[in-house]
Amino acid sequence: MSKVALTVNGKPVEVEVEHRTLLSTVLREALGLTGTHIGCDTSQCGACTVHLDGRVVKSCTVLAVQVQGQSVKTIEGLAPSFDASGARLHPVQQAFSECHALQCGFCTPGMIMAVTGLLQDHPQPDDQQIIHGLEGNLCRCTGYVNIIKAVKQAAQMMQA
Amino acid sequence: MSFSRLEDRRLVTGAGRYVSDWHLPGQLYAAFLRADRAHARIVSMDVSQAQAMPEVHAVLTAEDTQRAGFRSLPCAAPIPGKGGAELIKPYRPVLAAEVVRFVGECVACVVAQTEEAAQNAVEAIVIEYDDLPVVIGAEAAIAPGAAQLHPNIPGNLAIEFETGDAQAVAAAFAKSAHIVRLDLHNQRVAGNPMEPKGCLVRHDAGTGDYFVHVCTQGTAGMRGQLVATTGIADEHVHVVAEDVGGGFGLRFNAYPEYSAVMLAARITGRPVRWVASRSEVFLSDEHARGVSSRGELALDAQGQFLAFRFDFLNDMGAYIAPTGPVVAVLSIRACLAGVYKVPAAVANVRLALTNSVPMAAYRGAGRPVISYMIERLVDQAAVELAIDPADLRRRNLIPAHAMPWPTANGLAYDSGDFPAVLEHALEVADWTGFEQRRTQSAAHGRLRGIGLASFVEATGGGAGPDEVEARFGGHGEITLFAVSHSHGQSHETAYAEILSAVLGLPRERFRLRNGDPAVRLAGNATGGSRTLHGVGSALRVLADDVIAKGRELAARALEVAAADIVFADGRYHIAGTDRSVTLDSLIEQHSGGAVHPLDTRSSARTGGTFPNGCHVAEVEIDPTTGVVEIVRFSAVDDAGTILNHTIVAGQMHGGITQGAGQVLGEHAICDRQSGQLLTGSFMDYPMPRAIMIHGLTLAEHPVPTPTNVLGAKGVGEAGVTGSLPALMNAILAALRTAGVTHFDMPATPARIWGAIEAARAGDARRFAYDRAQ
Repeated sequence: MSKVALTVNGKPVEVEVEHRTLLSTVLREALGLTGTHIGCDTSQCGACTVHLDGRVVKSCTVLAVQVQGQSVKTIEGLAPSFDASGARLHPVQQAFSECHALQCGFCTPGMIMAVTGLLQDHPQPDDQQIIHGLEGNLCRCTGYVNIIKAVKQAAQMMQA
Repeated sequence: MSFSRLEDRRLVTGAGRYVSDWHLPGQLYAAFLRADRAHARIVSMDVSQAQAMPEVHAVLTAEDTQRAGFRSLPCAAPIPGKGGAELIKPYRPVLAAEVVRFVGECVACVVAQTEEAAQNAVEAIVIEYDDLPVVIGAEAAIAPGAAQLHPNIPGNLAIEFETGDAQAVAAAFAKSAHIVRLDLHNQRVAGNPMEPKGCLVRHDAGTGDYFVHVCTQGTAGMRGQLVATTGIADEHVHVVAEDVGGGFGLRFNAYPEYSAVMLAARITGRPVRWVASRSEVFLSDEHARGVSSRGELALDAQGQFLAFRFDFLNDMGAYIAPTGPVVAVLSIRACLAGVYKVPAAVANVRLALTNSVPMAAYRGAGRPVISYMIERLVDQAAVELAIDPADLRRRNLIPAHAMPWPTANGLAYDSGDFPAVLEHALEVADWTGFEQRRTQSAAHGRLRGIGLASFVEATGGGAGPDEVEARFGGHGEITLFAVSHSHGQSHETAYAEILSAVLGLPRERFRLRNGDPAVRLAGNATGGSRTLHGVGSALRVLADDVIAKGRELAARALEVAAADIVFADGRYHIAGTDRSVTLDSLIEQHSGGAVHPLDTRSSARTGGTFPNGCHVAEVEIDPTTGVVEIVRFSAVDDAGTILNHTIVAGQMHGGITQGAGQVLGEHAICDRQSGQLLTGSFMDYPMPRAIMIHGLTLAEHPVPTPTNVLGAKGVGEAGVTGSLPALMNAILAALRTAGVTHFDMPATPARIWGAIEAARAGDARRFAYDRAQ
């Protein structure tokens, strides 16, 4: 077992983990941040996507012991001003809702985290950049049509 | 206002509650030992080492399930077989006792303190098998001398159905001018909802109650299956569900793991949780399609259809899943002659058992099997008779004025305007401009093809009425209950919008709790694209019932007779005066008690109806790589009255893409020698990604149905029912220009390239499915 200190959604946390424990397991089980989803066991689906020191990573592909001293942002921390009374969403969250880019919603947190990263790299992405940016995230419901639309709308909202 | 759904806020903020997000204090974790071979006798099994491991609380085997009085998982045939034959039911244990029959079948269940400890203990179980011959593919299963899977099912044939009039068809064939024949294979696919299945079960030893948190499409059906399997009384089984991450038909049935975890919870006295890995999903979620078919079409000299004759041989897997026979036969029966005014039609449907995971519903549930057969056959006829495919369809479509149309096998289409839908689709797709686009593609060395499919599908079937309930709580909040469970279809928003429109209350006031075991309602699962007209109609009835109850309250408040009061825009008026009271204020006035006078339970029983459409696909093929690109896709659909256009479009996008996924590559391949699943992960199984379809255009062509009060026909399955045949017709049209005359799905680059190369070498049918394989 090892002790790992990290920052999650702006708050410092310390967890004791086995060497084999994945970051996704720490987030979901130890910290109760169940918005990060597990959809596969081969790092293909992207439902577990989070930001690690501002970079997009699949949290099922990162060992917890690797993130010592690093900062993790999950879907729960994407819009810090969000509260149950219905405060503001992050523009990507808002665009996903407005464009009907989610149906069952299981892939959605990972999609949104991946898209925020995509828009950091390409603030005004073209179709090819969007397709490339979504390559690591699977959705079974939407056919991606409205997800691509949401990426474009979010880009516009964030530009404004 | 821009679009948003009531369920979106929690889902985009990570606050959804899927099964794996639930935890209960003191919970233990289950893991399953699964058969690592497709057909074998269990010679011995030693669980002592696993049982002795620290942190292990229990190891369950077939002995335990037998001791608990567990029975076979249920199955049934929805209609009688040919000549009144009954379904021969294979015995499907929760945990395999003597024989394993597919790779992935559950053999033992370990319960431990942690998930890791449970998995480690599974690996410590020592099991010895004696391998038996493996049967893969329905043709192999019914071949003479094939190994038998179940002692009570001779020839591995569980039942044979016939629908239609074989004699009338034979007579029509005898006088026909042309007969077109086509063999097709609709390959086995894995549905793969993004949330892996799982359950969390709590047993209350005091009351004997089980609380089963589970992925489900409908609590009532799930509960019924658990009761049938475990023998536990219905009143003690409570199915709980909130968010469900996709289903597409795969979440209707109660998988054997759920019953095993119920037993584990009782034996250990602790809540027990199990969530499948994706590998387990591939191995143990029901697969779908897997149908070998033969179609024959008889035409007269003018290209009029005289009769259809079909044969469908279904690979059912090792056991019969509850929805398996429904999927195999009901859609064939309901859509036997498609959109055509053909006087005679017949289909033979056989259900064969094989050493692979059982088959059940996946988006379309048989509709894409019959539509694919019919529309490929019609295109084949167009080629053989040298008639334009749109024109051949035009000559044979059922005209709108002939509705309701009695079908050749005794059903009735209630409504629709198939010819107008076809013309609309041809216009949207710019059918006549295709030659120019083909020339442009050819200039870049690409083969271009266009294909269309006119189809009808059946929705709205259901075993009984749909009940709904509304409870008026504090702060004006109205809680709705229904059985049909959303796994992505936007029930919460759709239900609220139906009531909001009639009651004149904002939709945000309605809350949906449809997986709450405290409220037991009768109703159907989400499936067969039926929720809007089933539950939706019940809600429409409920709205009227609430208005009627409110009228009594208003009469008292306004001190007039109820008959003098009219309701409009959320307000009760005394006719001919300016005196009124709002429904909202009546809700508020009467709240505070345990029961609100407006609390209402209503129900509706709706008939089946027939959404229909015409889809036109256009593809480009690079003959040097075999890569198929979907460059345009136009879908015109009659889904009846549309209540929410954005939700409907979302359903179409998803359905069309799932069809494209199957056409372009999805294939659950079981090795013919070993029965091992060769495409058992997202590394091997090509799920659709964001590049699947370019130029997707949807258009609505609504013809309201008289079969329900909303006029809605359902839309969940139309996308795949149209896209499967339209895309393959387009691909084959492109391939024909390279000399290929027949091709079976999937259209992977390797198979497409191989077909083009084989045609060059003189073999135009190399990539046809071989029935004798």
